[in-house]
Amino acid sequence: MAQKCYELEKKDGHVVLRFTGPLDYYSGKNFEEDLDGNSDYAHAHVIAYCEPVISFPQDWVRILLKWKGVIRPNGKHLVLTNVSSKLMENLKRLGLDKSFKIAKDVKEAVDELGLASKKSIDTEFINPFLEAALHVLQVQAKIEASAGQIYTKKSSEGFSGEISGVIDIVSDSFRGSVVISFPAETFLKILSRMIGGEFTQLDDSNIAGAGEVTNMIVGNAKVVLNQKGYNIKAAIPRVKRGRGAEVTPGSRVPVIVVPFTSQVGDFWIEIWLSSET
Amino acid sequence: MFDPKTKVLVVDDMLTMRKIVTKILRELGFSEISEAVDGIDAWEKTKSGEFGLIISDWNMPNCTGLEFLKRVRADQRLSKTPFLLVTAEAEQSQVAEAIKSGVDQYVVKPFSKESLKAKLEAVYKKCSVRASA
Repeated sequence: MAQKCYELEKKDGHVVLRFTGPLDYYSGKNFEEDLDGNSDYAHAHVIAYCEPVISFPQDWVRILLKWKGVIRPNGKHLVLTNVSSKLMENLKRLGLDKSFKIAKDVKEAVDELGLASKKSIDTEFINPFLEAALHVLQVQAKIEASAGQIYTKKSSEGFSGEISGVIDIVSDSFRGSVVISFPAETFLKILSRMIGGEFTQLDDSNIAGAGEVTNMIVGNAKVVLNQKGYNIKAAIPRVKRGRGAEVTPGSRVPVIVVPFTSQVGDFWIEIWLSSET
Repeated sequence: MFDPKTKVLVVDDMLTMRKIVTKILRELGFSEISEAVDGIDAWEKTKSGEFGLIISDWNMPNCTGLEFLKRVRADQRLSKTPFLLVTAEAEQSQVAEAIKSGVDQYVVKPFSKESLKAKLEAVYKKCSVRASA
């Protein structure tokens, strides 16, 4: 009985064939039975991890070419990864180096096959902003806020509050703006707590504070999100006064709104995404 | 801890943040506090050699806090000035670059009076060790 020298793992849109040791004739037979017994394998890309392999026995070559022939009409590819120089020499010697796609590693294969998952806008994306807003206001202004139920609105409705800090963000899979929007009275109370004194009226110098609050919230959230692979880049914050919002030209997608309540009044975090990613 | 008579330069392009830092410094007993709006303004003010502590934002237009830090460290007369960087986003690669450039400590926004005090104590300790070496 031959020792099994491969593992087959079904992933989203592809199969990983992971070789775990040198290949022999009998293991090829077992492998062929595995393939023939599962029609799913005919409809997925195949990524073959070849690091422990220094040569393909003749029977394995036949089976791999057969598999490639089965998936090709379905628009799928077989990609060899982690190919050692020794294996490459052997493939060339057999005239097979052009018969398979070759990638440096599994990640490169996933990217080349267009299988890298695009990060979506969901609670995993929104929660870091929510938590950062609570943290920033608690630490910098000693304000205890709480988040309400998330909802969406049309972009034509404009900002929720009169003073808004806006930061444009781009990532691998989306671009848009993060907005922290306050009623004037709430904003002035937050500012008074942050820098001392009592602010009773909005003016050009004090409304800049909305940008700084936004900067802190986005900065904190960005670190968390980038650790999760969002690859976000943020621009310098700007401040908008009034509810007319022109943050993401061409935006047709709903705006995601997180409402907050606090002892100094309500405020909102809004995620404005562009429809063009 | 720093002598409260130490002259402090607070550098930030955002007025609000300068006011926040100044407010906390006053609560910690500092009274001689000057402000600069970016790295270029800060460099002009620093050249006098009067400041015993610099607290600078990282992300600023014209000249960033990191560029300003490098200028300070490259100047023989100013190179030992205690320097604290303030940032809204401390990613590991950034922190590594700041340490390599000679920053004494960094603090992530937002920060409380207690956390700024702890950072200043750490800066003071590091600079004291450096001075006695």
